[in-house]
Amino acid sequence: MLNIFKNMCLKYPIMQGGMAVRVSTAPLAGAVASAGGVGIIAATGMTVDELRNEIREARRIAMNGTIGVNVMFAVRNFAELVKTALQEKVDLVVSGAGFSRDIFSWGKEAEIPILTIVSTSRLAKIAEKYGASAVIAEGSEAGGHLGTELSTAAIVPEIKSAVNIPVIAAGGITYENDIVEMMRLGADGVQMATRFVLSKECTVADSFKAHYLNAREEDVVIIKSPVGLPGRAIRNVFSEALARGEHPTINCDNCLKVCSHEYCILEALENSRLGHIDQGVVFSGQNVFKMKEILSVKEIFQNLRGAFSIKSK
Amino acid sequence: MSVESKVKDIIADQLEVAVDKLSKETTFEDIDADSLDIVELVMALEEEFDLEISDQEIENINSVGDVVKYIESKV
Repeated sequence: MLNIFKNMCLKYPIMQGGMAVRVSTAPLAGAVASAGGVGIIAATGMTVDELRNEIREARRIAMNGTIGVNVMFAVRNFAELVKTALQEKVDLVVSGAGFSRDIFSWGKEAEIPILTIVSTSRLAKIAEKYGASAVIAEGSEAGGHLGTELSTAAIVPEIKSAVNIPVIAAGGITYENDIVEMMRLGADGVQMATRFVLSKECTVADSFKAHYLNAREEDVVIIKSPVGLPGRAIRNVFSEALARGEHPTINCDNCLKVCSHEYCILEALENSRLGHIDQGVVFSGQNVFKMKEILSVKEIFQNLRGAFSIKSK
Repeated sequence: MSVESKVKDIIADQLEVAVDKLSKETTFEDIDADSLDIVELVMALEEEFDLEISDQEIENINSVGDVVKYIESKV
């Protein structure tokens, strides 16, 4: 089992990936933590007060479960959000989309593990040097902002051999056999996100889940995010307009440290979550088309747990 | 050795560019340094000059001259 998770009430080394804006909030994170995985609240796009409430609500749902917070480095209130999570004594904090160095001293002071999302062994080594408790090795099958064009299966062994801290595989993991394969490649655990959007507990609009259920393989596309990274999403009216070079006008409040201002990614994500699919970006992993039903988080875990009994034989 | 020549040596070494191509006006964009290059450069600078550079301070460093000015203000 992952050494960073010792002393935590974790049945399975499965993390639910942080999904902003407000896709992974307390109800989903709490359900995942209750089922024996790591529930992650995505803080990006939230205010400090909102994040605090979400953490407390997730704790209420999963009293003894493992709850973490994910914050994108590129967001302007990154430091405040991370510090709020640490004050609330979450079990771990995940950071991605840019590399913060300060976060490691904050985590050390609070005695809370910091996990870094990486896509290269180079960044994994840097994260380890600064004190990351584990790295999440995220390949190109992942949804949302991407840091590599290489597949998860390609980067996991490389990153595993580059560091001595646990490596959690992420990107495209859907079924039990995907987990088995990742463990075979050296992963100490997995992170899954898209699968958990199609759960009863995920609070996104029904039309958002319908857009997932209706997606065909060819509907999963790469869009340009104003953060400066490519992002994996499901084709829709909005993504088609972006592809033609059309951008909606934006009401900017400078929420990102670096932004091209071509459109507002936070607003686009919030729109889709609320069900205004045509006016937003629907981030999703590459294998979304393989999933055709909405399950409870408990059922999702039941379908995956065989991966670990196979391993212990 | 002046701070400037030390800084240039470290940048040249870290980012694999010729020292004589670096002037105070050279920006990291000019020499195609990505965000990871910058993190690695900062790690090397911290080691060499025995100081700690915060995330926010890094955001304000865009050129060789910025690095020299920053180091000179700290040591």
